Amino acid sequence: MQSNLVSFIQVLRTHDVRVSPAETLDAMTVATTLGYANRNMLRDGLAMTLAKTPEEEAIFLSCFDRYFYQRLSDFSDTESTLTDMPEESATHEEAADGTGDQISESPELSPLDAAAREDAGIQALMDSALMQSLVNNDRNELTMAIGRAAEQAGLRQIQMFTQKGQFTRKILDAMGEEQLRSAVIELERQQSPALLDLQRYRDILREQVRDFVEREYLLHAEGKTRQFMDDLLTKTRLNNIEHMYLHKVHELIRKMARKLASRHSHKRRQLKRGQLNMAKTMRKGIPNDGLMFNTYWRKTRKEKPQILAVCDVSGSVAAYAKFLLLFLYSLQDVLPKVRSFAFSSHLGEVSSYFDDYPVEKAIELVNWKYGGATDYGSSLQDFAKLALDDINSNTTVIILGDARNNNGNPQLEIMQSIYQRARQVIWLNPESRRVWGSGDSEMLRYLSACHFSAECNNLKQLERIVDQLLKSTK
Amino acid sequence: MQLEDFPQLSSVELIEQGFESFGYICSPKIATAVFLAFQLRKPILVEGPPGVGKTELAKTTAQLLDLPLIRLQCYEGLDEAKALYEWKYGKQLLYTQVLKEKLGDLLKGAKGLAESVERLHQFGDIFYSEDFLEPRPLLKAMQQERGAILLIDEIDKSDYEFESLLLEILSDYQISIPEIGTIKARTSPMVFLTSNNTRDISDALKRRCLHLYIPFPTVELEERIVRSRVPDVDSQLRHQLVEFVHSLRQLDLKKSPAISETIDWARSLLLLHADQLDEELVRASLNVLLKFEDDIEAADAELRALLQTSHKP
Repeated sequence: MQSNLVSFIQVLRTHDVRVSPAETLDAMTVATTLGYANRNMLRDGLAMTLAKTPEEEAIFLSCFDRYFYQRLSDFSDTESTLTDMPEESATHEEAADGTGDQISESPELSPLDAAAREDAGIQALMDSALMQSLVNNDRNELTMAIGRAAEQAGLRQIQMFTQKGQFTRKILDAMGEEQLRSAVIELERQQSPALLDLQRYRDILREQVRDFVEREYLLHAEGKTRQFMDDLLTKTRLNNIEHMYLHKVHELIRKMARKLASRHSHKRRQLKRGQLNMAKTMRKGIPNDGLMFNTYWRKTRKEKPQILAVCDVSGSVAAYAKFLLLFLYSLQDVLPKVRSFAFSSHLGEVSSYFDDYPVEKAIELVNWKYGGATDYGSSLQDFAKLALDDINSNTTVIILGDARNNNGNPQLEIMQSIYQRARQVIWLNPESRRVWGSGDSEMLRYLSACHFSAECNNLKQLERIVDQLLKSTK
Repeated sequence: MQLEDFPQLSSVELIEQGFESFGYICSPKIATAVFLAFQLRKPILVEGPPGVGKTELAKTTAQLLDLPLIRLQCYEGLDEAKALYEWKYGKQLLYTQVLKEKLGDLLKGAKGLAESVERLHQFGDIFYSEDFLEPRPLLKAMQQERGAILLIDEIDKSDYEFESLLLEILSDYQISIPEIGTIKARTSPMVFLTSNNTRDISDALKRRCLHLYIPFPTVELEERIVRSRVPDVDSQLRHQLVEFVHSLRQLDLKKSPAISETIDWARSLLLLHADQLDEELVRASLNVLLKFEDDIEAADAELRALLQTSHKP
């Protein structure tokens, strides 16, 4: 049972329930304290130690039902075995009905037995344990045999849905289905009346195994496949992500933003106090016979960080800008003062769009209003007019763009004045570092007016940079 | 806490019955949680909407075991001086003055600074000792001879740092005081933490606790609760009013009526000598159930439909 519990916890982990080793130990103690007799009590008890939020509890309950549904043979509690397996027993009843009809039609011998009399090969098949359990409708024996074969085939390692067929085959082979198959072919050649019966048994067996593999896949691999997909998406260049995955990316970005938000949103105690307020300390000490028991300090003010995000939304980088805007939008919990600007030939503030519209609509509006050919020079002039006065030592400026200026005037002086005033200027360039400065790219010149620059073209990089940003704005 | 001392907790069924005798009707899940908490010596983190009986659970457990209930109400800015311990500054001050007077006797005949300091060291230092310690709820719970029920209420209202302060207490039932050392609990208390989920509790804290989520009860359970709390209400009215409250919870309200409101309402209906629900009566007493003007208006509009569903037998 212990190993069963451990593998169940493994299953929980693939379904995004975080279970620590300590909790695993707790679960063991809970199981031994409560015993295995009362299924519901055990389920409640395990839920309390393993699931820590209502959402996790829901996941836990569905996993518990799916996992211990098929492993009930491990419990000695036969009553619940019967009540909890209506589906499976139904299919078997059908099968039993089928054989029942056959038997009543020919009271002396079923066609299969008759065929077995004539052919030694089929006789041997009929005597095998597999066939016995199929004919006698012994589903416990059958389930256990499938379980053993699955163990042999290493079904728990199943990773992707494409492996389902392969594992089904492996399990069938391990159970000796080959014999059954060749018998079917043999009977087909003979055109024996027993063919139908045998085919039915074969189909029942295959169906059972397929169901079993399907259930195991859902348990062990569904989560893994999802993780794999997520992993893949975070490493893909943003402009290569297919349109059909966009909603998944939104979800991922939201998840990332939540993670970052919770990592950085904890209030921190302010360590730096102001100077000692001597006068007040002395005055408050008078009742204590002049002993200065309590100290009083002058307060220091801490300004809230401000972030200005400037996004190039011209055709070449639109795909990236969209994601950065989405990311900043999702981060508003942690960064209360984000002002967003968008530009291609001229620049304007778009913060209000994000306040007033849902994010998809807002991004669309921004693209429609500011999309076009790039002119960094005039855009920087616009930016200076709009926001330069607001930039101070608490301001972080993030610029997203490829710095391809169509050979216009780059207006480096404006960048430099921003650089001098701001606490931090960060430039994120979707192009790879090697091509910076090639052709009409002004990146290398702008670089001199940045505190930090990075190439940023997939979600992983984006997350790392924003994480860094949050750390430094605290 | 030893099992022999508390036979009331020896099985899940016994706990359920024990709670019922104190008027707390609970689902088997809640009883299982209390049973496990006692067996594994682990705190329970109770979550759920306000008014489903989270605090009541701790109070009833205290009654059942006949142990003192020590309650710590959390709020923003709660710190160790208010939760754990505080030094008795006044007495410490007096002590230093007494010491000053005695200093002459103590140092009489000492030659040189080195010898004086040596003598001072020999003199027992009780400036920081348990005598000058003012216990706050958490420390008090550790000092109880027979054990105690410690209720840390609305942990989600406290600051993030406060949670880390609790970790040592919750996992090892001990408190470290830098000036003295570690104080272990005489008998480990049973700890209930409640949370209304206004913010996420840290993983470290969650890991140390059993997690119990109490949802709104089913109709049957709530009827049993009302029966035990307000026994004079007749069964038909009880069924109607519980059904009505349940249908109210289906609406999109700012604050859904909880069990405590159902009980209050049953009491007020009793005072109004009602024997069945009618529109006028409900409209007049709706303010017992709903605490926001918007909610009352929303329910008012739906009142007839709601009453129809609750009048079904």
